[in-house]
Amino acid sequence: MKLTIQREDLLRPLQITSSVVERRHTLPVLSNVLLSLRNNSLQLTGTDLEVEINARIPIESAEEGEITLPARKFLDICKALPEGASLELKVEEGKVLIRSGRSRFSLSTLPATEFPNIEPITSPLEITLSQKDLRNLIDRTQFSMAQQDVRYYLNGLMLEFAPDHLRAVATDGHRLAKCDASISLPVAENRQIIVPRKGVAELSRLLDDSDTKIRISLGDNHIAIDLPDVTFTSKLIDGKFPDYQQVIPQNPDKILTCSRQALHESFSRASVLSNEKYRGMRLQLEGDQLRATVHNPEQEEAVEEMQVDYQGEPFEIGFNVSYFIDALAAIDSDDVRVKFTDSNHSCLVEGADQDACQYVIMPMRL
Amino acid sequence: MPSHRAILHVDMDAFYASVEIRDQPALAGRPVIVGGAPQRRGVVSAASYEARRFGVHSAMPTATALRRCPEAVLLPVRMERYAAVSRQIRAIFARYTPLVEPLSLDEAFLDVTESQKLFGPGAEIGRAIRQAIRQELDLVASVGVAPNKFLAKIASDLDKPDGFVEVKPDAVQDFLDPLPASRVWGVGKATCTELERYGIRTIANLRRQPRDWLVDRFGRFGERLYELARGIDHRPVVPDSEAKSLSHETTFPVDVRDRETLRARLLDLTEQVARRLRRHDRQARTVQLKLRFADFRSLTRSRTLPEPTDVTAEIWHATEGLFRAALQGETRPVRLIGMGVHELVDPAAEPHIQPDLFAEPQRHRQRELDRLADAIQSRFGPDGLRRGGAIKRQ
Repeated sequence: MKLTIQREDLLRPLQITSSVVERRHTLPVLSNVLLSLRNNSLQLTGTDLEVEINARIPIESAEEGEITLPARKFLDICKALPEGASLELKVEEGKVLIRSGRSRFSLSTLPATEFPNIEPITSPLEITLSQKDLRNLIDRTQFSMAQQDVRYYLNGLMLEFAPDHLRAVATDGHRLAKCDASISLPVAENRQIIVPRKGVAELSRLLDDSDTKIRISLGDNHIAIDLPDVTFTSKLIDGKFPDYQQVIPQNPDKILTCSRQALHESFSRASVLSNEKYRGMRLQLEGDQLRATVHNPEQEEAVEEMQVDYQGEPFEIGFNVSYFIDALAAIDSDDVRVKFTDSNHSCLVEGADQDACQYVIMPMRL
Repeated sequence: MPSHRAILHVDMDAFYASVEIRDQPALAGRPVIVGGAPQRRGVVSAASYEARRFGVHSAMPTATALRRCPEAVLLPVRMERYAAVSRQIRAIFARYTPLVEPLSLDEAFLDVTESQKLFGPGAEIGRAIRQAIRQELDLVASVGVAPNKFLAKIASDLDKPDGFVEVKPDAVQDFLDPLPASRVWGVGKATCTELERYGIRTIANLRRQPRDWLVDRFGRFGERLYELARGIDHRPVVPDSEAKSLSHETTFPVDVRDRETLRARLLDLTEQVARRLRRHDRQARTVQLKLRFADFRSLTRSRTLPEPTDVTAEIWHATEGLFRAALQGETRPVRLIGMGVHELVDPAAEPHIQPDLFAEPQRHRQRELDRLADAIQSRFGPDGLRRGGAIKRQ
């Protein structure tokens, strides 16, 4: 294998594929990136056995072949080379030789045959949608995913494919985020899949806000997403996502409306003095006044008062302030509505002008 | 602090039967059995001393009891009534000390060490309590007074009914030595047989065995035997309201191998512990399982709950998990099974509780169920209602 490539053409594909490579792994070859040169296309692949990212770069006139080399070192070398540098890369006696200007590197390799491949998806369900729709769904929900919960099916993002929408739901058991994209999908009935946490994080890095179409292929155990020049593949979490509909408040009758940004800023200030572990915040509503009080074990206190639109009875409720801040940051609307049932039941937070996204937060007993 | 504790064990004599006889004076002098109907395979819950003369004792099938004593008056169990009387008895205890550890409706330990400054020596307090129970409630109690729980319990039992036995700190060994080894707490039929093989019949015999000898044969329980034979027992009297843990255990009359029997018994114990937990408005963070096998080796396993709870179903879920794991590949028969809850928290005093979105509605239903079960239980007694799994499938 032998090729010449511009540093700028190589850098981003190499960054994308190296980012799935874990520092600690079970197989030596998993710290490597696979280079495969065929039909004037250089393919780079990184994997951790759960998530695989494959990036393609067009290459003119080269000697075909494939090899794996240490991802981290290869990336660091590329980053350290000067802008506009040209790299000449060839395999010789089990080493990869890289020459660029007056720099020369000889990197260890492992044969490409040792590199694990995620099996191709057979008879997938195929869906086409715009990049920005998928990115929007992920950005507005992923912060609610659980982390290392024993309920393993919560450690990921649930995607629901329905005839008239694609829905993303994430929950850690204390709060839940749900967001819809109204698109018609070629499915007869709802299908739910759970993409693991790491896959979601990698995927959101790959997506941008453009209208470019991407293709989702769904297999029994995998999801693959084809972007221009990049293919993302992830295993799915084999589990049943809980019935999220059941935890969305049905008839909350205490409804507060106010400016999203003002509420976000007010809670952010209050949160400075919250207990680092529990993050408890007490909310009191009376007339058009909302009062947020926060304490910490050092006996410090923050009180934030704010005028809101509220017609219900006066009442009091406690929350983890971080859950509110996260939800308020994800809502794309000038005004927000917060709907309460009572101080023991979850509340619903949503944008006043759109209901594509909903956030459910379980109160805390303070 | 005084060098010796003063512990009372107060045990009501034939409690359920005595309450019935007191409430219906016409029954006085007649053999009275309180228990389930023989047609429904009921068992004797309590028998008056007149009935006991015919060989009737509690836990015996009612049918057998009635064969032995055909003229006995059989009365149904009125748990609510006994619970009410029990509360009156505890009110009498409370005049002398707050340190009351109830073992059941008719039995309690009292630590009166500090009360002696106000009310005189422990023995005097014991007599005063016995007299108050007799005069105010028209019931008879046996009382043991001793420097610890183990001795107090033996003492109250020694001169029943209407007994009063004091074990003075300097007379402990003279008191214990002539007693049969079966008097030692935890020594049942099986241990007795085992001890007799080595010619050990009395506590004096037991005391002559070296510690290592006992430990070799009985494991940790051997340590306990060594201490108890010398009248050593440091267990404090713990009022339920201050308990750091709550537990129940059962020693089977014969060693049990059948998993279903063990599981059913464990579920029963779990229900009792969970009920006590709720009665004291506490929630538990950890659950512990205890097993003692036929070879006297014991095993304890504990598990931390996802969040503190007083819900029977959640406690049982954890307990059953421990039980299944503990018996994985286990072939020894079991002689004792027990469970307990530890790290109790007062939910009212917890600064922050973050309930779970998915578990909370489920928990809400379970709590309703528990409340209902507690109410039925306090009305109809421990057999009023049981979880399906606790009824042994034949």
